Amino acid sequence: MTTESAEGAGKPAPEPVKPQRSLAGRLVLVAAVWSTLALAIAGVFLVSLYQRASERSFDAQLEIHIKALVSEMLETSDETVLRATPLVQQPTYLGDPRFSLPLSGWYWTVRQADTGTVLYASESLVGDPLAVPALGDAEAGAGFVAGPTGDEIRVMQQRIAVGETPYVIAVGAATAGFWADIREFARLAALTLLIVGLGLVLATFLQVRVGLRPLVRLRSSLSAVRQGETERIDEALPREIAPLAVELNSLIGSNKEIVERARTHVGNLAHGLKTPLSVISNEARASEGPLAEKVIEQTEVMSTQIQHHLERARMAAQRRVIGVSCEVQPVLDRLVRAMNKIYRERDVRLDGLEDAKLRFRGEGQDLEEMSGNLIDNACKWATSAVLVTATPVADASSARGMVEIRVEDDGPGLSEEQCAEAVKRGRRLDETVPGTGLGLSIVADLAALYGGRLELGRSSMGGLRARLVLPLLGDS
Amino acid sequence: MRLLIVEDDKDLNRQLVTALEEAGYVVDSAFDGEEGHFLGDTEPYDAVVLDLGLPTLDGLSVLEKWRRDGKTMPVLILTARDRWSDKVAGIDAGADDYVAKPFHMEEVLARVRALVRRAAGHASNELTCGNVRLDLRAGRVTVDGSPIKLTSHEYRLLSYLLHHQGKVISRTELTEHLYDQDFDRDSNTVEVFVGRLRKKIGADMIETIRGLGYRLGEAGDD
Repeated sequence: MTTESAEGAGKPAPEPVKPQRSLAGRLVLVAAVWSTLALAIAGVFLVSLYQRASERSFDAQLEIHIKALVSEMLETSDETVLRATPLVQQPTYLGDPRFSLPLSGWYWTVRQADTGTVLYASESLVGDPLAVPALGDAEAGAGFVAGPTGDEIRVMQQRIAVGETPYVIAVGAATAGFWADIREFARLAALTLLIVGLGLVLATFLQVRVGLRPLVRLRSSLSAVRQGETERIDEALPREIAPLAVELNSLIGSNKEIVERARTHVGNLAHGLKTPLSVISNEARASEGPLAEKVIEQTEVMSTQIQHHLERARMAAQRRVIGVSCEVQPVLDRLVRAMNKIYRERDVRLDGLEDAKLRFRGEGQDLEEMSGNLIDNACKWATSAVLVTATPVADASSARGMVEIRVEDDGPGLSEEQCAEAVKRGRRLDETVPGTGLGLSIVADLAALYGGRLELGRSSMGGLRARLVLPLLGDS
Repeated sequence: MRLLIVEDDKDLNRQLVTALEEAGYVVDSAFDGEEGHFLGDTEPYDAVVLDLGLPTLDGLSVLEKWRRDGKTMPVLILTARDRWSDKVAGIDAGADDYVAKPFHMEEVLARVRALVRRAAGHASNELTCGNVRLDLRAGRVTVDGSPIKLTSHEYRLLSYLLHHQGKVISRTELTEHLYDQDFDRDSNTVEVFVGRLRKKIGADMIETIRGLGYRLGEAGDD
């Protein structure tokens, strides 16, 4: 009798799985990283293209000035005249006032190629030499040198020969403005690309939000099923995840079916065992002697054991069901109606449910079982009246709403010790009233399984007061 | 008082019949739903003990068919499926009480006694008429406080008349409720038992209403 079944008990709860980064987070992150990288590469490429184009245009400008210098130096462009009388003259105006402005950053020199002697120089140099690298044997060259004020100068040189005399013409310009241009371009390009990048990330975010909305719907639908608010997942979903909803629905369906089948098996087993047990025990009661007594005693034990284990099996089956709930009032109404018929001498009344549509988060059959046992027990003991009330209560130990089903009678009631004893399995406080003695302990077990509880105390009506506290469905 | 037992387990059926007969009832028995339904439909029973798990037609359907056809006799259901949902379904289908298997025979006897008594409109287990008193629980009859001995037929007759005191009961009705279905309805044994009962409880207790039947006690409302 003392063996306690251990199904479900003592099994450690599985470690909670750490949730991975969200799908939306992943998509946005990947898009952001990729956009940043792509835009950065594009930026660098753009700036370098711009720089190369600017350099070419800068150099082209210098080349034009070289050409202007050459034409200014020579009186005639006739090659035959030049070869006969190689005369060069001081170049005057190049068409650019910057060559006349002192230390303007724009300079030119004409040197003798073999000696390196400066023949002519721009007015802007104000007598300072422009330190240019030797051209060597090359016809032309370009490079950077330090100017008279120390700033960087881009210099282009070209060798020309007038008659037999070779000259090197060098034109230089400060690069400060050039680099400022490049930097400005780079700054604007970076700003533009940054705006484009932010736009892309925002677009990705919106796209992900819209794209993943069906998943959010699926999740809330599934949670509604778990909460018992609905029995099926909404299958109106995009093609990609609709099969998932269909599969989940069939899983929920088969889960219910398995439980239903288990319940039917339990019922069949109960029927199969209890009828022969009735026969044996009645036969023994009709006989006398030690054998009959033993049989009576043992059939009582068997009855209690069968009842207990059938209840446990039913409870174990119950726990696997998801997505069930039931309205409290119809269940209590049915029970009170039935009890008034069974116990005609008692007045069983139901109170306090008129305007509340309370929904119990669990199986209707279990609510019926718990309430039925309590009301039945009250009717057995009541002198004349039984009062059943159901009210929503705030429960300190749980964030959820709870319903309190209170069953009171005007019978003899129980003492505090008896109340504690009554909820123990198979304990019958009075053998003169028929029953297996499992009623109250089954109620306590079932209530605990649902996260509720059963409390026994004294009623203001004089008898026992049983308070059954059970979880309510979220929005009821 | 005539009862019908519908129970497919032969042993349990026999035990119920024996126990109820010993308690002073006339008992017919059926072993499947269709037979049970037929008997309940055609014979006037004072109460029925109906198992829910029956072959050919389940107990709940039998009960629903009876109630649909206007049969009002009290019905006690026996059920191994003892969840409240099963019990309430039985009560909703028209049962008046239930006993869950496995049961003690005394419990069935007490429930049947209460059903028959309640159906006849009596609140107590003691029925009295004048100086005659019948204790249903003990099956004991006293006249002026002294116990008298009755045969089982005489006891059934007195019990039926006491349950329906003040009403005129025809000879046919008495025959139907005091004998099982195999009894020869044309015999005049009822008169014989009424005569014997009169000798034991007093000749003026049972009045013969010519052409209608018998009446115990003062005329009632009907």
